[in-house]
Parts: sequence; structure tokens; C-alpha cells
Amino acid sequence: MRISELPEIGTKYEIESPKGDKVAVIFLATGEIELYVLEASAEKPSVTRLTSEEARRLGSVLTGALLTIEREDVEVSFSEISDLRINIHICPVTKYVVGKSIEDLAIRKKTGVTIIAISRKGRSIISPPPETVLEEGDLIVAIGEHEQIKACEREILQPG
Amino acid sequence: MDFLLVLGIVTVSCLALGLISKYLRQASIPAYIIAGILFRYSSERLEFGLISSYDFAQVVQGLGKIGIILLMFYIGHEFNFRGIKEPGRFFAGCTDFGVNFIAGFSLGLLIGLSLLEAFILASAVYISSSAIVISSLIENKRLIYPEAETVVWLMVFEDIILAILLVVLTSITSDSLAMIMIPVSLAKTLLLIVFILVLIRGLSNFISPLFERDDEIPILLIFALIFGFSALAHLLTVSEVIVAFFLGSALSGVKPFKKLLGDTISFKNLFLTIFFFSFGMMFSFEFAGLPLTEFVLALLALITLSILGKFVSGALIGKKQHGSLETGLRVGAYTTPRGEFSVVLLAVVLGMEMGISELLFSLVVAYVIFLSLIGSFIAKHGDRIGKAMTVGINKLMTLKR
Repeated sequence: MRISELPEIGTKYEIESPKGDKVAVIFLATGEIELYVLEASAEKPSVTRLTSEEARRLGSVLTGALLTIEREDVEVSFSEISDLRINIHICPVTKYVVGKSIEDLAIRKKTGVTIIAISRKGRSIISPPPETVLEEGDLIVAIGEHEQIKACEREILQPG
Repeated sequence: MDFLLVLGIVTVSCLALGLISKYLRQASIPAYIIAGILFRYSSERLEFGLISSYDFAQVVQGLGKIGIILLMFYIGHEFNFRGIKEPGRFFAGCTDFGVNFIAGFSLGLLIGLSLLEAFILASAVYISSSAIVISSLIENKRLIYPEAETVVWLMVFEDIILAILLVVLTSITSDSLAMIMIPVSLAKTLLLIVFILVLIRGLSNFISPLFERDDEIPILLIFALIFGFSALAHLLTVSEVIVAFFLGSALSGVKPFKKLLGDTISFKNLFLTIFFFSFGMMFSFEFAGLPLTEFVLALLALITLSILGKFVSGALIGKKQHGSLETGLRVGAYTTPRGEFSVVLLAVVLGMEMGISELLFSLVVAYVIFLSLIGSFIAKHGDRIGKAMTVGINKLMTLKR
């Protein structure tokens, strides 16, 4: 990744693939974002101009959050409250927690992480009660700070 | 002369021609100059008597002057002293200056201008139009190419050279032509610049909270600073545009000012348009007493030389920086448009009330109109032109062998 300043225009972020294709993202001084794609063999680049909102959505697709759910995070933001971002983390249950209830594990008490849903065999349990017992193949959906999530993974899902 | 009538005529005619230029997808600077020329021409023909009215020209020129001051203020604010020091950029900037300034200076002497006039012409020939060049880079989707960066930094380098040229030119022309006065007025200018930089830095703790207010104080403060220092410069017979440039760069260190930059830019855009109009109004169709054919020949030579000059400097820069002649020729094509700075330079010199010949004046007006249009065209088709020229040059090389 190459970052360069373009006075009076904005800032350019540039990346080149091994094949020689180039992608550049330019943050214009106006606040809009231009996305350039130049294939190695192409004469001219394709360009589109995005608002910051569109760029953020595109960005979350590119980070893979919406496509691969295992061990990935989704960031939810609200158009009304611009500085509120909630990170939602999805992690599969491990053999260490199968058969135990949320209450037994004391996840909230130990790490501060809150489980907001469990995805079980294609169905979902929203806001599961503390006595819910985790089963093999479950996906846990939780919210919490990055550090808290790390602690949860370290101490409860993968102890030792 | 009714003040509102003046404002009405200027803004409506600039709007009309500006819209036409946007429809035709052309640079708008010549449109506003042409609006001024048309106004003078028609009022002379139809005998409105407006142009002979002392007030009219006075009012328009006064408003236009605000435009120049705000433009230089903006350039000063955006100026990046750190980035320019990179050796590659420094080399590119010097090559651009060397080739094009010398080309303009020699041609000026050749067509019979005085040394000083040739110096002014050379400055006008050297300086590309940042406004046209940068909007052309964005519109024609060139930002991904490495040479776009080279071009943008060339524009920054030209800004600092412009400031230096203005300091030199106004020092030569302000007090008197006596050689002995030049160092004195140069020293005066430099002292005032240092005074501004130190004062703003010293007062920044006091000024910063004022910029954060929500009432009319921030915008008033900006204009008080700009006009206050301009007045001071005027009293000391130092050029107010130089003062504006350094005031802008001093204020770029005051963080809360950022919030007001947008407002300042709007004012700049409005008054700069009026400036172009006032500039066009000074143009007469008498071609400085030269026969039309001679004037056209001189103009053609100037235009051809200016275009070639940028291609040569571009080629040198491209060879050195990107290792490619074709890339260099594209740099040349992108930097061909001339515009606002060439006009500003001439206007500043005119404002210093030293006699410059009608020939130089008419030449530069016509030059800027043509080269902003031709230049935008060349910049737009820079890729194809660069490729065609490379093919041509390579063929020539093989023929020689």
C-alpha cells in the first residue's frame, strides 16, 4: 500500500496486485471518495465517485464481514447517531463450552462480553436466556469491545 | 454611475458566459475575460458611455483586486513547504522553471520588449494554471497514474516561484526604477513578511478561540486580517498580494481557521470572476499600434513556444523521474494550460503603475485566452498526444541511424 499526498486534491492510497492491476482510493478535499481500478492491460482506468457513506458500506463488504461469518466482525452504524458504532462479533462454539449454559460460563461477569443471539441449525435464538445450553455447531453472536472479545476467546472458548 | 447597475452588468454577463463555457466543457477563465472584452467593445460601439465613466472601471477593478488578494491568500494557505523539499520534486520544479522561463524571456527580447517586460512575459509563459490543470486531472481520470503526482507537485513548486517572482517584480517596479532602490524595497518586503509570520504565530493563542465562535466575528476577523495587512502593505508600498500569500500560509498553522476556509473560497471564487472581467475590460482591439498580421504572428510564435516548452520540460522530467519519455510527454501535455496566474502577475505589475507597453498587455490577454482553451484540449487528450509524439520521435531516431 502506497500513501501519497496530492496538494489541493486530497490523499491517495494505492495498491498494486502481483498481476499488475492497480487500485487507488482517493479521498478528495471535498469529502467524497474516488475509486480507481486500472487493469494491467487496460488503457484507461474505471473510476467511480462515492459518498463517505457508500464508501463505508463498500469497505465493510471488502473486509469480508458480510460474506464469511466465522470469526469475523460486523460493524453496525446508525445514520441518526453518527458517532455510535457497535461491533458485533460472531464466533463458533468450541468443545470447551459445549453442554454448558451461558450462566455457568459467566461470560458477562468474567469478560464483559454480552451474548445477544445464538444461531443454531439455521434458526436463531435472539437474546438467549442465561440458562440456555450451548450445543455443538452453534454460532455465538456477541457484542463487546475488541479487548473483551479477545479475553472471551482466550479464557472461555479456548482455555489453556 | 449606479453601483448596483455595475454589479448587475458584471455578474449577469459573467454568469451567462460562464454557463456557456461549462456547457461547451471548456475552461471558464477565458469566458470571464471575454465577458469583459465584449462589454468594453459593445459599450464603445453603442456609446453607452459606461466605460468612459471613471466610476465604472474603478469599481470593477477594486472588486477584482479583492479577488487577486483572496486567490493569493488561498494559495498561501494551501502551500506545503515540507513536501516540496523532496529531491525529485525539486529537480522537476527547477527544470520546468528553467526551460519555460528562458523560452519566454528569449522570445520577449526577440519581439522587441524591454528587459523588464521580457521578464514579465517569461513569468507569464512559465506559470501553468493550477485551477485548470488540477480540475483536468480529476475530470479526465488521471489520478491513478504516477505522473499525476509529479504534475500536482509541479503546481505547488510553481506557487512558490510565483511568490518569489512577485516579490522580485514588485521590488523592481514599486519605488522607482533606480537600481539602488531595489535592495531597499526587497528588504522592506521581506521584513513585512517576517513580521506577519511572527505576529500570527505569537497571536495564535489569542486568535484561535475567536475563530471558534458561531457569530460574525470569525469571518470579520479573516477579512480584517487580510485587508488590514493589505492596507499596511499599501502604506509601505509593498505588494498586497505577497502579503496575502504569506498571511494565508501563516494562518494555515492556526488550526481552527480550517473551519472558515470554505467561506473564504466562496468569496475568492466570486471576486476572482470579477477580476477576470475587469482584466478583459482593459483590453483594446488596437493591438498596440501593430498591424494585425504582426500581432498575430507574435502571438502564434508565443503560443507555439509555450506549448513546446512544456513538452520539453515534461520530457526531461519524465526521463529523469519515471524513466519514460512517453510519461514525460504526458506531464508536458497536462501542464500546458495557462490561466489565472499569468493574468494575476500582469495585473499586479500594472497595479504598481510602471509603464508597460500596450504590446505586452494585449499579447498576454490574447495569450491567456487561447492557451487556456488550447491547453485544456491538449491536457484532455494528453494520453494520445504523448503516445503519438513518442511514436514519432522513435521513428525519427531510427531514421537517423
